[in-house]
Amino acid sequence: MAISLVAYIREFARWEWARKFLAARTAPLVIPPYFRNYPELTGKTCTHHLFCMMACPAPGAIDVIRTPEGWQPRIHIGHCIRCGLCVEACPNGVLSSGRILESMFRDNTRLSFSFKIDVDLDKCMGCGNCAVACPVNKLIDAQMSHGGRASTDDLLLKLSDGKCRVLHVEKCTGCKTCEHHCPNEAISVARLLEAVHAPEEVP
Amino acid sequence: MTFLQKVKNFVRSRSIHVAYVDVGSCNGCDIEVLACLSPRYDIEQYGIFVHNNPREADILLVIGAYTPGWEEKLRGLWEKIPPPKAAIAIGNCPISGCLFARPHTLVDPPVAKHIPIAAQVPGCPPRPTEILSAILSVAPAIFADYEVKTK
Ligand code: SF4
Ligand code: SF4
Ligand code: SF4
Ligand code: SF4
Repeated sequence: MAISLVAYIREFARWEWARKFLAARTAPLVIPPYFRNYPELTGKTCTHHLFCMMACPAPGAIDVIRTPEGWQPRIHIGHCIRCGLCVEACPNGVLSSGRILESMFRDNTRLSFSFKIDVDLDKCMGCGNCAVACPVNKLIDAQMSHGGRASTDDLLLKLSDGKCRVLHVEKCTGCKTCEHHCPNEAISVARLLEAVHAPEEVP
Repeated sequence: MTFLQKVKNFVRSRSIHVAYVDVGSCNGCDIEVLACLSPRYDIEQYGIFVHNNPREADILLVIGAYTPGWEEKLRGLWEKIPPPKAAIAIGNCPISGCLFARPHTLVDPPVAKHIPIAAQVPGCPPRPTEILSAILSVAPAIFADYEVKTK
């Protein structure tokens, strides 16, 4: 009993033990490379599809700029929430973060986009700004007069009976130009992201 | 450097008192500050203590995108902290407003408009490791030789 007590005290009276007990600090843990971090460029060629910007949930986190080498996405730290959706959305693998690209390749998954346009008919005053501003409409009917009236029904947005009507939502590219040009906040575009497995046609 | 200054430097490097204030966040960053106290990150082994009393604090962690309710309060809280002091913005919210910086919201980021911010830790939320490293790198820069620098 006495011997064990002495051994016990001897153990804890060691200088080495006391120093460790009082002064030991571990360095702050390092972040492992497989954690999702701010997306980085992989060096692949950006084709300016802007899927990254469409998928990004944080305002001002990503934009695509023109550099002498071509288009290039830029991530803004302080805005980016490191969700990794831009990495998944890019059809060319321009961005990479953590293990996202690896697991997408392994599981053969993609993000697919669809768009839903909602017009609040109580707020719409039929000015036609949206139909004139829409770049898809512009391709179909370059002659469209102001006010958004046109003879063809192939248009994406068209004015009839003094209200904006959505005729072909499947043609929408989700650019939200109409939303920005509506004076009454009557039209809103929702971007719906869906994870799909083994897509037949790769965008 | 006087002996007294050396003693002050030594003590200040081992006793950093932290207060945190949430000026309108989603709580994500608060949870990460809380995680710093857990055994895995163990903020106290570096001599950093979370007291949450501005009168005792050296470092103020500001979390959140600054809602109108803080208009008069944050400034007063910052002035209650005795010098030397530093404020660190934790998360995207005090830097840019993060997801709340949209039209028709009431938040008023960045917090640097309202009180001086010494460092920013971006992320939504930032990892506890990043919060820890920020405190550890800001504290010596502000507190070492404080009396000499401000003379
Ligand atoms: S990681 Fe998320 S928040 Fe950051 S740029 Fe990409 S999509 Fe936007
Ligand atoms: S989002 Fe773009 S493409 Fe779609 S309707 Fe609006 S302007 Fe046209
Ligand atoms: S811009 Fe707005 S108000 Fe004008 S027609 Fe389109 S939805 Fe209606
Ligand atoms: S930065 Fe992100 S996690 Fe932190 S408070 Fe803001 S929204 Fe929440």
